[in-house]
Amino acid sequence: MNFRLTVQAISLGIFLFLLWSAAFPLKAWIPADAFIRLDPLVFLGTSISSRQWIWALFPGLVILGLTVVLGRFFCGYICPMGITIDLSDRLLRPRSREPGPFPSSRESGLRRIKYYVLFFMLGMALIGVSSVFLASPLSLVTRLTALVFYPFVILAGDAALDILLPLNMALGLENLAYMELTAYRFSTQWFIVLFFIAVFGLAYHSPRFWCRYLCPSGALMALAGQRALVRRNVSADCTDCGICRKRCPMQAIDEDAHKTFHQECIVCETCVRVCPENAVGFSMHHGEKGLASGRFVPQRRGFMVSALSGAGAAVLVHTNIIQAKTGTFPGHILSETLVRPPGALPEENFQARCIACGLCMKACPTNTLQPVWFEAGPGGMFSPRIRPRRGPCDPLCNVCGQVCPTGAIRSLELNEKMWAKVGTSFVVRHKCLAWEWNRECLVCYEVCPYASIELKRVPESGVPVPYITQHKCSGCGACEYHCPVQGDSAIVVGPMEALRIKKGSFITKGRAIGLELEADPDRQRKPPDHLFDRNDADGLPPGFTF
Amino acid sequence: MKKINKVSRHVTCPQSALTRREFIKRHGQAALFAAAAAKTGFFFSPDVQAGSKPDIAVAEGGAFEATKAALDLLGGIKSFVSDGNRVVIKPNMSFAHSYERATNTHPDVVRALCQMCVEAGASSVMVLDNPLQNPDLCMERSGIEKACRHIPGVSVRTLSSARFFQKVTIEQGERFRETEVMRDVLGADVLIAAPVAKSHSATGVSLSMKGMMGLIRDRGIMHRRFNLSSAIVDLCTLLKADLAVIDATRVLASHGPFGPGEVIRADLVIASADMVAADALVIDMFPWYGREVMPRNVAHVLEAHQRGLGRMDVENMTIRNVTA
Repeated sequence: MNFRLTVQAISLGIFLFLLWSAAFPLKAWIPADAFIRLDPLVFLGTSISSRQWIWALFPGLVILGLTVVLGRFFCGYICPMGITIDLSDRLLRPRSREPGPFPSSRESGLRRIKYYVLFFMLGMALIGVSSVFLASPLSLVTRLTALVFYPFVILAGDAALDILLPLNMALGLENLAYMELTAYRFSTQWFIVLFFIAVFGLAYHSPRFWCRYLCPSGALMALAGQRALVRRNVSADCTDCGICRKRCPMQAIDEDAHKTFHQECIVCETCVRVCPENAVGFSMHHGEKGLASGRFVPQRRGFMVSALSGAGAAVLVHTNIIQAKTGTFPGHILSETLVRPPGALPEENFQARCIACGLCMKACPTNTLQPVWFEAGPGGMFSPRIRPRRGPCDPLCNVCGQVCPTGAIRSLELNEKMWAKVGTSFVVRHKCLAWEWNRECLVCYEVCPYASIELKRVPESGVPVPYITQHKCSGCGACEYHCPVQGDSAIVVGPMEALRIKKGSFITKGRAIGLELEADPDRQRKPPDHLFDRNDADGLPPGFTF
Repeated sequence: MKKINKVSRHVTCPQSALTRREFIKRHGQAALFAAAAAKTGFFFSPDVQAGSKPDIAVAEGGAFEATKAALDLLGGIKSFVSDGNRVVIKPNMSFAHSYERATNTHPDVVRALCQMCVEAGASSVMVLDNPLQNPDLCMERSGIEKACRHIPGVSVRTLSSARFFQKVTIEQGERFRETEVMRDVLGADVLIAAPVAKSHSATGVSLSMKGMMGLIRDRGIMHRRFNLSSAIVDLCTLLKADLAVIDATRVLASHGPFGPGEVIRADLVIASADMVAADALVIDMFPWYGREVMPRNVAHVLEAHQRGLGRMDVENMTIRNVTA
């Protein structure tokens, strides 16, 4: 195994380990989101669209800086998307197909696409719409791994544990035998899968098709690494046999094999290894030496047009009826069910930052965080929402904010997080067992960790019925999750009165507006006198017989 | 809250005349008291019946010490666990709560039991539950695993996958006659119920009998299809604990099983070889939902008594108190 494959294997290992470690409770010493923060496009795109300097994303800038010296080493050695594509290329690409040269005119046209993509995205970012989620390789590959592979692996692992149970028991491997895996389920998986089928399928056309022609992060690094200091150079021993050009996965070698398109080169050193004359090496150079003449970089007009198209698209996103943009148009077209994670920035800022990598959804212990499709408008695809019917938001968990690489969800201390109201529940009376069917059901009352539900006696019903105390409801959805009616719950969380602030304390702000989301969800609550009437045998729970 | 006072008097000064008066007052008949007193010596000092094993032991003190003391009164753990036995302990660890909330068994009660079982020569001790909330969080926050994992031969596990369960017929079940039970429970020589004393919104109280629902796979069906109280008795004909040790160091006297509710600090551990009797005494000792409740007022305890699963007439049984 050569050096590059070793580094790639280690890199993939770290990527998967970090992804796996994004779980609750979070091990404090592991920066679970570290890998995503290496993507220069995540840095640039998010900084522009959110108009914020985000220190957490600074590593992306460092990578970009290193590219000036080392060229696109990130693509060749570190990027998990690149590694995934290498793997799929190996599996899917017929061995007989050489990555043979195309007519250079067609080639250069394709190669320009990635720059158009980049400038389109930056154009959108200028108008304040983040489209990083569309094409940032780290966002894409994290999403694929977290939302598609992870549940798949869990399911397969569970099946394996099932089959191996007798064997594990016989071998005395008790901890393995008794292992249970928490099942995860996600929506929108098919769209992610279809996208990646397309990306992987393009291997049929050429290896690393995505990296060569489409990847906007690659384009950004190509611009930075056009004249990389460490670059390929060819000695006089070269016999012009052309093997290096044929085998270069990026087609970065000119017809004259002495010359290299450095912005395309990912420093994989395949050319070094295949050269029968040992004529190729990588070393420090500067100036024009070894630079091929064509650059495949669009002309200024191309940049302008793609950036303007991006800006135009961003305006379209903004004018979309679903798009939340406070104060710019009358009416309230907000999804009834779009309940954002606790600590999510105000929607406009949230969407400007969220890159929909899926890490929060992977980490969420109750699996309540789910990707949305068009529910949040075209700019909010794959962004997280709370889906209480799947699980409640645990008041004692704050992992989503801790793993968010861009700060779209604020990283909050537990006591602050408990005040980060995500919405308010309301009773759907025509489904409620107590309201509609006179059944003595107190499940929502019992499970509410904030004691925000009151049971009241009303003339319409013979049994106590639930009422929400709005200023005590955090929107955690324990009620919606546990509600025993089938299908949709009879008590549901809506985004109403969600507390979403850019900075400052949720506790201070919450108190100021009259919320009472006490920091200890396990506090004692006094049962209302009328609930279990001490003098009325019927007032006790069933199970007693007097 | 007068009843709690009565309880503490029971325990700290069992001969107290006040206690007797109160007992009479509660039962409303002197004859019953006389009979009870004559038969059981409920309110006499421990020395009176020194030498004989009581039916129920009540120990006051810290969770760990009281558990050991209660078992000592019952003749020591060796009366229940022999050399080479496989033991299953069923605590409450279904909730991702810490022990203060009294929804889970105190870790030290379970630790004391594990330690005693191992010392008695148990070949394996498994602490098992099928949790209601996220298993990892239950394990972490209940503190039971942390308290017990260092004892050799002890494993604390939450099981919910189908592979750990086996379908069995409940031969003596009246309605509820088939269920899936943890294989490890079916293969165990000794089953110890170690619940926390708490109220329950569907069954009134949740003690050792109700706790057996944590050893089967589908509890929902007991709620949905059957009369829950009867189904619990059906289940307990199959899963009849050899020993019940009820953690009443804290009692969740209202708003169980989840809480938060009224938590009474009682510092008691109640143990008996008769799970019905242990449940009955605990029902008798504490105010549930602020009211006085007799064992016969709890449907599943009444039915268990009537069907001969155990006894709820604690007034006719030997009860011994000790301060650990």
